[in-house]
Amino acid sequence: MSTASLLGPYHPDGTLAWTNGSPITCHRFLSEVATLVDRLPEKSTVINLAEDRYRFFVGLAAALVRGQTTLLPPGRAPKVLTQIVEDYDDSYCLIDGQAGVAGLPSVHILSAYGSSEEGQHVVPQIPTNHTAVVAFTSGSTGTPRPNPKTWGSLVAVARHTGDRLGLTPTENVTVVATVPHQHMFGLETSLLLPTQFGLPFHTGRPLYPEDVRSTLGSVPPRRILVTTPLHIKACVTERTRLPGIEFILSATAPLPMALAQQAETLFDTKVYEVYGFAEAGSVATRRTVAGDIWQLLDRVSFSKESDHYSLRADYLPEPVPFPDHISLKGSQAFVLHGRNADLVNIAGHRGSLGDLNQKLNEIEGVRDGVFLFPEKDEDPVTRLMAFVVAPGKSADQILGDLRTVIDPVFLPRPLYLVPNLPRNETGKLTRESLLELARQLRCEDHRDI
Amino acid sequence: MALTDASPLETEVAKLIVQTLNLKIDPAQIQPEQPLFGEGLGLDSIDALELSLAISQSYGYQIRSDDPEIVATFASLRSLCKSIEKNRTK
Repeated sequence: MSTASLLGPYHPDGTLAWTNGSPITCHRFLSEVATLVDRLPEKSTVINLAEDRYRFFVGLAAALVRGQTTLLPPGRAPKVLTQIVEDYDDSYCLIDGQAGVAGLPSVHILSAYGSSEEGQHVVPQIPTNHTAVVAFTSGSTGTPRPNPKTWGSLVAVARHTGDRLGLTPTENVTVVATVPHQHMFGLETSLLLPTQFGLPFHTGRPLYPEDVRSTLGSVPPRRILVTTPLHIKACVTERTRLPGIEFILSATAPLPMALAQQAETLFDTKVYEVYGFAEAGSVATRRTVAGDIWQLLDRVSFSKESDHYSLRADYLPEPVPFPDHISLKGSQAFVLHGRNADLVNIAGHRGSLGDLNQKLNEIEGVRDGVFLFPEKDEDPVTRLMAFVVAPGKSADQILGDLRTVIDPVFLPRPLYLVPNLPRNETGKLTRESLLELARQLRCEDHRDI
Repeated sequence: MALTDASPLETEVAKLIVQTLNLKIDPAQIQPEQPLFGEGLGLDSIDALELSLAISQSYGYQIRSDDPEIVATFASLRSLCKSIEKNRTK
């Protein structure tokens, strides 16, 4: 049986994580994992809701050791969680302070603290074919679509990404991340990337520019910042005096080149982007200021299908269709040309317009409704809009109903109530007609205020 | 229901919130004591970051999570304005 180590090359007394300015050693981590392993129920799947990055990792590791699979829900909307629990009924919840999921037993990760640090702990070896996590994306059918990831694929993506970025186990650099660890990109870059290279990570998740500055400052020099275009824009706009950073790693949305250039100059660093998607994980990188060409990670390759490209890698069980329109530049590089029309990406949350439309139209009292991804503006985050025909219902009522069934990041802003939708004679709604409707309604808004 | 008891700063910040976050409401409809996040205006952490930038640009007040009063600050328009009043540099 092929296995891969839970951790890269840490010294037992080496720092695995930083929390509130204090180091957590690799030895303490292994001890806490061992304690938690014994407390986990006999179940096959676990929803790990821990907010603290270190505690999440303790939970993930303990589940791996027990041969369990960690589910990564696309959001915390109650109905989304309920639906996942229905599909994975042999589940329990790992928490670190928040409420669990209704109807599931919960285990508090904090309760593993205080475990004995006596004795030696061997770094666990995990079978590479074990399904370590299942990430969910909203499919066009209306139900969350599972994307299972084997331990072998998570380790391979982390190692290939780190190799590309020039990480080596002997360099002592700490990863500070603003992205959530329950998200595939966050999991790969803020936890697996450092831990597979024996590097420390910071357990927090800074939000505001001042938070980013103080968190970076709370760990010893040589740092990597894993973040998003929105956070970069915030730090650049504020001209935040960030302490020295080896490089910034950005993902979840395209980073404008001018912003990358400003960040490189202002923070005296390099800015790299990672391209990935739930079905395959991270697959390519680029240094943004160098141009629009993305380089595939080593051991990932394209294959040409009849009308699209797929990606192959020895850790992917089958070729994965590429979600965006691209043109190839040689065998290992490509340029992105835009999204498949049904897919939207709001602040790193990928969703399907088909799925969102279906959920909107299932709301009681909604006669007709449609989401629109508006024309891009200057903001790094463009929100969805929606047009809804629902006589007798208010926009607030519909938003309230939507909030229980979709990830809040997809909530339309604004939601317009209209007497009817601009369907053509065949009943179709074209993007052009919806953009025109949006322009008209915007003009009316401006007259109102 | 129109806002009747809003201070000039509250009126100003309500406008800033609506403009920054592209909300389709009349700023005067934001009740001073209404929660801004979750069930109230329904804002999320992306909004918090965008709003913090607008506040910093307009008032020179840099919001940070390790401020012990951060939760209270974002509780409502009124509490946000109190924090701006206390910390503004412009």
